[in-house]
Amino acid sequence: MGNGIKVGVVGSAVVAPRNPERVSLEEALHLATHAALRDAGIAIEDIDGIVVAGNDQLDGRAITVMMASGSVGGVSRDILATPSSAEHAFVLAALRVRSGIYRTQLVVSWSPLETQDIAQVQRLSADPYYHRALPLDEMSAHALQAVALESKLPGLREAAVTITQNNRMHGTRAYPELSPAPREAVLIEGSRMLRYPLTEGMVCEPAFAVVAMVLASDDWVDEHPGRDCAWVNGMGWATEAAWLGDRDLSALPSLQAAAAQAYQEAGVHSPQGAFDLAEVADATAYQQLLALEGLGLCERGQWVQAVERGDFSVDGTLPVNLSGGALSFNPLFCSGLLRIQEAANQVRGRAGAHQKRAVRNAVAHGASGPAMQYNTVVVFGHDPRKSTQ
Amino acid sequence: MRKIPRVGIIGIGQSRHQARRDDANYPELVREAVALAMADAKRDFDEIEGVVYSLAPDALLGITNAERQGVDAVGARNKRFMRINTGGSTGVSALAAAHSHILSGACDLVLAAGADKVGECGDSQTILNKIWDPIYERALPLGTITMLAMSAVRYMHKYGMTEEDMARVVVKNRQHASLNPNAHLRTPTTIDEVLGSRVVSWPIKLYDACPQSSGGCAMVLASEDYIKRHQLDAVWITGVGHSAESYYMGDRMGIGYSADHADAAALGEAIARAYKMAGISDPVKQIDVAELYAPFSNTEFHAIEAAGLAPLGQSAAMLRQGHFHLGAQNPVNPSGGTLCANPIAATAMVRVAEAALQVWGRAGAHQVQGAKRALGTGNGGDHQFFGAMVVEA
Repeated sequence: MGNGIKVGVVGSAVVAPRNPERVSLEEALHLATHAALRDAGIAIEDIDGIVVAGNDQLDGRAITVMMASGSVGGVSRDILATPSSAEHAFVLAALRVRSGIYRTQLVVSWSPLETQDIAQVQRLSADPYYHRALPLDEMSAHALQAVALESKLPGLREAAVTITQNNRMHGTRAYPELSPAPREAVLIEGSRMLRYPLTEGMVCEPAFAVVAMVLASDDWVDEHPGRDCAWVNGMGWATEAAWLGDRDLSALPSLQAAAAQAYQEAGVHSPQGAFDLAEVADATAYQQLLALEGLGLCERGQWVQAVERGDFSVDGTLPVNLSGGALSFNPLFCSGLLRIQEAANQVRGRAGAHQKRAVRNAVAHGASGPAMQYNTVVVFGHDPRKSTQ
Repeated sequence: MRKIPRVGIIGIGQSRHQARRDDANYPELVREAVALAMADAKRDFDEIEGVVYSLAPDALLGITNAERQGVDAVGARNKRFMRINTGGSTGVSALAAAHSHILSGACDLVLAAGADKVGECGDSQTILNKIWDPIYERALPLGTITMLAMSAVRYMHKYGMTEEDMARVVVKNRQHASLNPNAHLRTPTTIDEVLGSRVVSWPIKLYDACPQSSGGCAMVLASEDYIKRHQLDAVWITGVGHSAESYYMGDRMGIGYSADHADAAALGEAIARAYKMAGISDPVKQIDVAELYAPFSNTEFHAIEAAGLAPLGQSAAMLRQGHFHLGAQNPVNPSGGTLCANPIAATAMVRVAEAALQVWGRAGAHQVQGAKRALGTGNGGDHQFFGAMVVEA
């Protein structure tokens, strides 16, 4: 199976305007695209295809790829859109390069703040007949998941607050200008209850950002030396059932399935110890815990001890979310792609202030949809994995 | 371009498209097509390794990210799953994504599926108005009908197309649809009847326009290796291509336009990319049948030209001479086409499905005799996104 073509990340950019109300979405997309192309040292003429991801309802457009297409170089170009999640745009772009049809792909995702009431818009995803009357927005889904975990592991809240603190500390170092959320436990825990058990301090305000990435085949990379490349050595993606009532919200079998796909491809037999760092979904700290378990990095019996030991801090055995994660900067829809972008940058040596030394292997995880419905895992390596054919 | 291996189609499922499906909710409608495709492919759900979900605007269903509701309908729990949306071209784009799933080596067996209930959304044009910019464009009576009426006006001016020419497309496609049990509008009609129907946005009249359909479509794709190992019957995707126009309709008009709104240059690009991959250099000779996405009669003309089946501006005259009919040279839309069934999220997949059925020899009463190579296309957005697929026996 497969043709031996390898795909790597050769460039990326994030545009996060300080005054979102002063920057049009189309302009931000254009800025991000140009910045990613510059980072990759590639001209738009050499981009063989584009995959974008945006949410129609957040954008207030019935087919949002239409608006985005021009700004990202889509005119006369092969451009597709995966509104299911930003991570899926990355996945499809990587598959397209590996298909052999395309040598390069541009991936762009965005999350604006233009809609009047984000929660109300999110509630439109609920079934109109039975669930729409419930306040089923993403915050409620996060809360239901947190409650499900707390009921299995009483006392988890303290670990959740610690993770929130840690990630915020990371965020302050990584992006001081983008991380206004509180870092102190007393502020995190003692702030207004939003949706039990989540306080205002335990989540981060939505932010506006555009994330753009450039992927290229090994052929292309060989022909264009001097690029810092993060090789996609393994990739997996899977979905939970849609109806929350059909799920055990304290578990994520789809993440296990996605991780298994990615690890099989990457030849990772023992995930603990395989990675220098991880960037995982952390819209809440509970998401991070579930992610670490699903990725085989920390089973739930070890959660509390691992957090107390500081395993996931910058000096720990497995630094998690050195970028600060979504707990520090939360561009809702494209958060998942941001995790992938951050992990790739660490491997490329382009992570700036929060760069960890000598990162050879990293794992990225993005989750989207209510209570982490979609899970995507990407294993990055400084060196391409050896072909298994 | 490197030689691209072919990808097989081993199963096809399609609804009988109609105005309303009060007997099936949205996920059930998706499941109906999926069950038909899986039965056709003779596969169990366990074997499907990835699903590509075909869903155009959520707004037509009234549910954000409605693909989430369809996860179980497509049997995707704990499996690879993603949704594609390129407006009306979603169906062919979903197939292109599935095609990449297989060629990348990630999956041997992929299901692509989707459905729509356009007839049940109230007024699709009111919803489709929302694809345009909220500040500058939405206040205009912009819908897909008015947008393509403008294209018709320009095409008339440029090439001399008449309302009668448009009506001739409708007569042809309705005749074809009368032979296709899956089509929504199957009643044959006459030029006079079309010309006498209510004007919606001149020159597009009611009969020149596609119906609002409810229905679904699903296809099972497989790698050549899998097909050989399991000794399956299949037809082959040998060419895939996509391209896009400028979103701004103003860029397709006036001085310094980047594309002429009368024509479908980007559709031509998409088709050319697919032809190149499939090794097609002479479409008139090499394409036995074309299922071209054309929701309005006038748009079939520029689609025919984009497919290289007629020189620019000539297709109306050629239709007058009898081309493009079933039984004649280069039949176009023997299924009746989008003009006779338009369940938007699935329509472009239906085009490729019909093309596949033709080269498979399974198109029943609307079979083009001896068809071995076919083209299926999709258009999306404000005539902005285009996808094309070449399918061969």
